[in-house]
Amino acid sequence: MAVVAATISIGGRPTWPISLARTVLVLCALLVLGWLLVLPLLAIFAEALRPGVAFYLDAIRQPDTLAAVRLTLTVAAIAVPLNLLFGLAAAWAMTHFEFRGKALLGALIDLPFSVSPVVAGMMLILVYGKYGWLGSWLEAHGVQVIFALPGLVLATVFVTLPFVARELIPLMQAQGSEQEEAALTLGANGWQIFFRVTLPRVRWALLYGVLLCNARAMGEFGAVYVVSGHLRGLTNTLPLQVDQLYEENFAAAFAVASLLALLTLVTLGIKRLLEWRHGGELKGRH
Amino acid sequence: MGIDISRLRRQFGSFIALDDISLRIGDGEFVAVLGPSGSGKTSLLRILAGLDQPDSGSVQRDGQDLLALDARRRGVGLVFQHYALFPHLTVAQNVAFGLRVRPWRLRPKAAVIKARVDELLRRVELDQLAARYPAQLSGGQRQRVALARALAIEPRLLLLDEPFGALDAQVRVNLRRWLREFHRSLGITSLFVTHDQDEALEMADRVIVMNRGCIEQVGTPEQVYHRPATPFVSKFIARGQAVPGEVTASSLRVLGASWRLEGFADETWHAVEVHVRPEHIVSSPRPGEGLPARLLGVRHVAGTTLASLQVDGMHEPLEAAWNGHDGGRHASGERVTVQFQALTVFGLDREGRVCARADCHTPHLASPVVSGPWRRLEA
Repeated sequence: MAVVAATISIGGRPTWPISLARTVLVLCALLVLGWLLVLPLLAIFAEALRPGVAFYLDAIRQPDTLAAVRLTLTVAAIAVPLNLLFGLAAAWAMTHFEFRGKALLGALIDLPFSVSPVVAGMMLILVYGKYGWLGSWLEAHGVQVIFALPGLVLATVFVTLPFVARELIPLMQAQGSEQEEAALTLGANGWQIFFRVTLPRVRWALLYGVLLCNARAMGEFGAVYVVSGHLRGLTNTLPLQVDQLYEENFAAAFAVASLLALLTLVTLGIKRLLEWRHGGELKGRH
Repeated sequence: MGIDISRLRRQFGSFIALDDISLRIGDGEFVAVLGPSGSGKTSLLRILAGLDQPDSGSVQRDGQDLLALDARRRGVGLVFQHYALFPHLTVAQNVAFGLRVRPWRLRPKAAVIKARVDELLRRVELDQLAARYPAQLSGGQRQRVALARALAIEPRLLLLDEPFGALDAQVRVNLRRWLREFHRSLGITSLFVTHDQDEALEMADRVIVMNRGCIEQVGTPEQVYHRPATPFVSKFIARGQAVPGEVTASSLRVLGASWRLEGFADETWHAVEVHVRPEHIVSSPRPGEGLPARLLGVRHVAGTTLASLQVDGMHEPLEAAWNGHDGGRHASGERVTVQFQALTVFGLDREGRVCARADCHTPHLASPVVSGPWRRLEA
């Protein structure tokens, strides 16, 4: 601790109470994070590999599990681009235009963060379910939303809606619209301004938002749980598969859980890599 | 020819940014719009650039309605105060932007664009830095990139928003001179907005002084400096200071002295405002003759002494500018006698508008005095 305190104090001033506080705070943070995050994560991998690698590979090679992996990736592949478009459009509207209901839009973007995912799922059932508002119309046209892929996508889109927009709005606000105005006076049209000026300026924040959105889309449980119907090999995403396996095959559940954790960790790994390689730009170089 | 601005009005809520502005800018003129912040000068610039629309009024260029063209098609180059360079593009790419975004029928070939960018960068003396990014440039260099970028589209009107506002003093003075020369070599009609009097007076062919959304005076730098049209211009440009004065039939009485008043239309005015400039307050050649005053403080600024004076019979202190030789003789707290060499009188009507003005020179002297009488004694 003396060493830590010595390295923290700058300029040789006697700042020991400050450096002590700093050391204690850093240790507390690391301890809490280690206890609550790192240890459980390691436990999952340890538990998953305990019955042996052969068993592990067997567990994740089950057709139902592979179907769940496919479904999870499919849902994310649809939901994330949708939210990318929505996030860009919403952030642009929020930062470049003055309109009535702007505050309301801001609040609505945050809604999915404050509404419990289970409630979100229930809302979808109420609207699209068999006895919901649109249920009979959808049934008459042969479209199944609930207990099928569209429902899973809707639930995921709802839950991950804020990630991209929330990442972009503060950045776009800080950047202002002077460069867009400059592009306009130089003769650029709307698309040229967007693709040549606005998008390059927010690209890293956008990617960051997309990655967070993706991690959440793959890991979502609550809302998806309500609309899925738990049909093995058909409407079970990875988190739901883990949940079902947990009831019957403890070890297999951990194997699949580790796979899910791995997917998310890869996403976060990419994020870290980007931060490391483009740190300056992410901070918003002007 | 030139730009004709007529009866322009712009209001934001209850704030009137532009109040019935009419103005002509000649072809190839270099015009400064000078005013304190909130005077409406930036609003005028944004309307000319097409980034904002006036509530009423018209802007015509050679008989063509400029307001009907959107910002993209207006052919107006705008240099932003903070340059607004594209940080993800190199200097050369920034300059080429306006040419590259043209519709393909009008877009020059890549080789032509490159040649044009090279030429522009040579002109702004940045050809060595073409591959750099804006973040790697100094403030003065960024300013010149922004200028080259605006000129690339061959604008017929160049607008500059506080062109030196974000630069440090040394760079500012050098760049001022450079920009003045640059404009001469281009001959393109240009308008720049500034709150800095020295900048406007040094650079512009013509100065437009604005205050609270109105034009106070339009004139050459000499005119606005030596013959301010309104009390505001006198205060803002020549640091004119109000002194108590009374006008009676063709004479002006100020602090016990009588001045001859010529060319002052009588009876139309409701009130008068009398101004004296710092350089027109001189210390008396003979002690006891002139206005007794107490020296409150003395500051030395680049060869000039700025003396703060409390003239007897006045509430507000006056500031006098003396050259170093005269100023060095005095210390603060000392009692001195001073004389006014010249005064400007404004006659105001009931609404506070200027309806008459006159310049007066030292009493008892018919012709204007350039230097104080004590100089003649010394000579």
